[in-house]
This record gives sequence, structure tokens and C-alpha cells, in this order.
Amino acid sequence: MNAISVNNLTRDYGTLRAVDHISFEVESGEFFGFLGPNGAGKTTTIRMLTGLSEPSEGTASIMGCDITRDAFHAKEHFGIVPEVSNIYEDLSAWNNLMFAGELYGLSQPERTRRARELLEIFDLTGFRDKKAQGFSKGMRRKLTLAMALIHEPEILFLDEPTSGLDVQSSLLLKEILSRLNREGTTIFLTTHMLEEANTLCNRVAIIVKGRLAAVDAPEKLKKTIQTTQSVEVSLDSMTSQVTADLTAIKTVTSSRHEGDKFRLFTPDPAVVATAIFEYAQAHRLKIISINTVGPSLEDAFLSIVQRQGDSRTEGRP
Amino acid sequence: MTTSSPPARIWRELRSAWAITKKDARIYYLRPGSIMFGILFPLFLFISFAIGRDLPAGVLVPGLMAISVFFAASSIGPMAVPTERKTKTYERMITAPVSPLSILVGEIVGGAIFGAIIAAIPLIIGIVFYGTLIVNPIGLIGVLVLVSFAFSAMGIMFAAIPTDNPGDVMMILNFIRLPLLFISGIFIPVSAMGMYGAVALISPLTYAKDMIQYVLTGTGYYGPFTDVIGMLIFTGIFLWIGVRLHERNRKSG
Ligand SMILES: Nc1ncnc2c1ncn2[C@@H]1O[C@H](COP(=O)(O)OP(=O)(O)O)[C@@H](O)[C@H]1O
Ligand SMILES: [Mg+2]
Repeated sequence: MNAISVNNLTRDYGTLRAVDHISFEVESGEFFGFLGPNGAGKTTTIRMLTGLSEPSEGTASIMGCDITRDAFHAKEHFGIVPEVSNIYEDLSAWNNLMFAGELYGLSQPERTRRARELLEIFDLTGFRDKKAQGFSKGMRRKLTLAMALIHEPEILFLDEPTSGLDVQSSLLLKEILSRLNREGTTIFLTTHMLEEANTLCNRVAIIVKGRLAAVDAPEKLKKTIQTTQSVEVSLDSMTSQVTADLTAIKTVTSSRHEGDKFRLFTPDPAVVATAIFEYAQAHRLKIISINTVGPSLEDAFLSIVQRQGDSRTEGRP
Repeated sequence: MTTSSPPARIWRELRSAWAITKKDARIYYLRPGSIMFGILFPLFLFISFAIGRDLPAGVLVPGLMAISVFFAASSIGPMAVPTERKTKTYERMITAPVSPLSILVGEIVGGAIFGAIIAAIPLIIGIVFYGTLIVNPIGLIGVLVLVSFAFSAMGIMFAAIPTDNPGDVMMILNFIRLPLLFISGIFIPVSAMGMYGAVALISPLTYAKDMIQYVLTGTGYYGPFTDVIGMLIFTGIFLWIGVRLHERNRKSG
């Protein structure tokens, strides 16, 4: 059985379509990344999957339980760490955990045992009886994660869990997530950072403007995304001979005119830039401007969609 | 940890609701807003009304108890819910395996217990200083349960106003609560309202005050049957509207 199964899920806010007919499956035990730039629809998707907002269209299920028709049972199977750490400031770390445990129906001995374990794992034992008010950002995130794990859920949702954390907290968090996953927890994590998705996830989906592009192994996506790096150049003479020569530079995969500039896509912008300098010198051309542009999820998305469109045999209207 | 059988499910829901009640008691009973609008506000209102008038304890104590439970019970929801919208802890409850109704019931019971505790204060004062007798102690417990639940449900209904600032809800709530004091037989007895006495029937506070008076003194204006029916109808309305409004909020979230 799939841990998460999503079918044509859609969400409209007025006239804005925040999530547009996305479909995918996450298998039990996977570490699944949901990668996309800001405003892509990541949070909206997580909110629908966890019952915080209602889909406008489409369905989804968690461990086989439909998220709208059987919300109660769907919710028993997951824990969630939202974008903003939501702990009770007026309660101690311990009482926060006790409340979470009771909310999920754990007995007194169960929740006491789990809370002790979790405080230990998250290095919060010393803050057990301190009010969460004074906690640092990293501690809040850790307590939120501990609360999400109190009922030992099969699935864990995390919405940009490392954003805003210092390097050390972020590393510790990633370590804990990897360990949880090794021990069998299915993880669904959103991020706007390619590197994060690449190091943590088994499979990654890319979402841009509410639409889902490829769902693939992160290495493959990384390759695709790297080919979307580019060099933008403008020379004083831009004859078709010149642009053809530039496009022929090693490692350039494609090129296009953008206004008075010429854009060369390549996985290796530095090498291409050097080649352009040499070419300009040899041909006595003046460089008006030259610019390297880093990988862009939007371009990656477009190139993936294009590739998918090309390889599709049965055409769609 | 499966909860497929109905009794197991109901038991689970009740336990989660109770956890929410305890959480509210821990966090919101001693908040300045709760003390201000739940305790001080009704107390000063009442003092300014009673001062200089030579009213018997049999009128004073039921009136003060009714105001106390009215304000106190209806103040916790409007404190807790917007605050938790702001801190996103309300979402924590929605993503847990608890039905929306159980969340509201947990919050309502939290307000109701606060209301009942506050209402006990004038009663104790009455017993100690005025020798107020309780004609029907068992009845009093039942009345306090019913009345505090009803007014707490009213507070939760208003807490559905989609804001993350408790002050916004309190303001609108007071806009309703204050006028009700004047048409509910608290400051002016219904019998003295003449032809306008019928207006009292549209206020839940009327029935609350009358039934408290009835169990304390043995006499009331409408009688226990009308009081209980009136109170139940209002409780039903508050719950019905409250559940719908809160659910609508969630769906648009
Ligand atoms: N409650 C809302 N009302 C209106 N628009 C919203 C709401 N929530 C999100 N959006 C819009 O939906 C789009 C997707 O947002 P979101 O899911 O938060 O993106 P992400 O988490 O990927 O950054 C954005 O354009 C955002 O402005
Ligand atoms: Mg987001």
C-alpha cells in the first residue's frame, strides 16, 4: 500500500489556482521531497494532505484512508511539522509533549515514556520544565518535531523544516530525519533548496506555479537542473556566424536570443564564460556584457515539461 | 492504535476533548483578558448597579451569579481561539485525530468550568455574609452545569469570527452582552418591565438568572420548565451555529 496517494489534487483561492491537478504516490519508507520556489504551492499541498484545508478538486489518501471522507483515521497515521513552529509558549516542554500525547490518545505511561525518549533524542532534557516562551528558534523547531513524533506516526510531513535555522540546528535536524527514515518512517518534506532535496531524499517532485513536473530520483533532477545554468552575453557584433560559433562552444546544450543578449545554457558556466572571452579576443569583438546565471527551478521545470512533452507518444490536446 | 469500534472511537474523542479542556484551563484562566472580562467587568457592573439600593440577598446573589457565569463562561473561547489562530496551535488540534465537534466541546467545557468556578464566588459570599440558603442544592449543580455550558458555547460561537486578535471578538461580544443585562431581569425585574417583559424571552440570560433564583430561593418568574427549555434551545442554537461557522473557517483555510 502507498503511504500517500494523491490524485488530481487542486486548490483555488478565488481566481488563483494555487495547486493545479497534481498526482503522485509516495511509497511506505520513502524519503520524498517536494521541491519548488516560493509560492509554488508546497504549503497549500501539505495543508490539504493534513486536513487544514479542503481540496477544490481531486482526492488524496493517507495509508489508504481518504483525507476528507475518513479524516479521523488518516490523521492517526501522520505527524506534521508546519512552516511555523506551533508550540504552547505558556507550557513547559514536558507539558507541550503531554498535551500532544493526550490529543493523540496515548495512555499516561505511554506518553511519559515517549516524552522522555524524545526529550533525550532532541537534547531538550535539561529544558523539560522550562516554559517554551524562552526557547530559541532551533529549540522550538525541535520541540515541534518531538510533538509530531509523540504517537510514533508512520508518516511525517515537514514544511521547509530547516528554513530560518542556524547551520548547526539544521544539520542536527537533517541527521534526525535521516535516522527516522532509516528506521522506517515515511517522510514528506517540502523545500525550496535543491541541495537539501538532493542530500536527503530518495525521490523528488518539482512543483512550480501549482503544477507538478517530474517525480524522479534527485540525481537525475539535479542533472536536468544543472543544464539550466546559463551564460548571458552581449557582443558588439552579433551576426548569425557569431551566435553559431558561440553555440558550438563545448558543453553548451542550447541557446536563445533574449533581447539584445544571447543566452547559452550549460552545466558549466565558468568554462563557457572563459571560452567566450577567448573567442571575443581572437575575433576582435568587444564584450558589452557577460553574466552567469545560476540554476533555476523554473527553467528546470520548463525543460522537464518540454522533455516529457517530446517523449510522449500519445498527444494530449 | 486503531479505533474502529464506535465506543472506542467515542472514548478517544472524549479523552482528546478533555485534554483540550485542561490545556485551556492551564493557559487561559489566568490571562489578564480572562480576568478582566470574565471577573472584574461583571463585578464592577454589578456593584455600580447594587450600590445605594437596599436589595435583599435573595435578589442580589442570583443576579450576581447569573452575571458572573454569563461573562466568565463566554470569555474563555474568545480568548483562546483567536490566540491559537495566531500561534497556529489551533491547527495542531485540527491535524490531530479529533473531530471538529470534539475540539469545540473541549473548548466549551474549558469555558464552562471557568464560569462555574467564578459563579461560586458570589454564592460563597452570599452564604457567608448574608446567610443565603440554597433551597435545592442538587438542582443548583444541574443549573450551573447547564448555564455555564450554554454561555461558554455562546463564547465559542463568537470565537468563530475569523480574527487572530482576542480583542476583536471581545468587542463584538460585549456589544451583545451588555444590552442583554438590561432585558434579562437582572437590573430591572421582568415583572417591572410591563408590556416590554416579552423582550426578556429573547435573552438566554433571562432563563439563566430565573433558574438560578429558583434553585436558590424556591421562586422564579417563569418556573423551571420554561427556564430549562429556553436554556436548552439557546444552547442548541449556539452549538449549531458555532460548529457550522468553525467548519466553514476550516474549509476556507
Ligand atoms: N490563504 C490564501 N489565500 C489566498 N492565496 C493564498 C493563500 N495561501 C496561499 N496562497 C497563494 O497560493 C500560492 C501558493 O502558496 P504556498 O502554497 O504557500 O506556496 P509555497 O509554500 O510553495 O511557498 C501563492 O501564490 C500564495 O500567494
Ligand atoms: Mg510554504
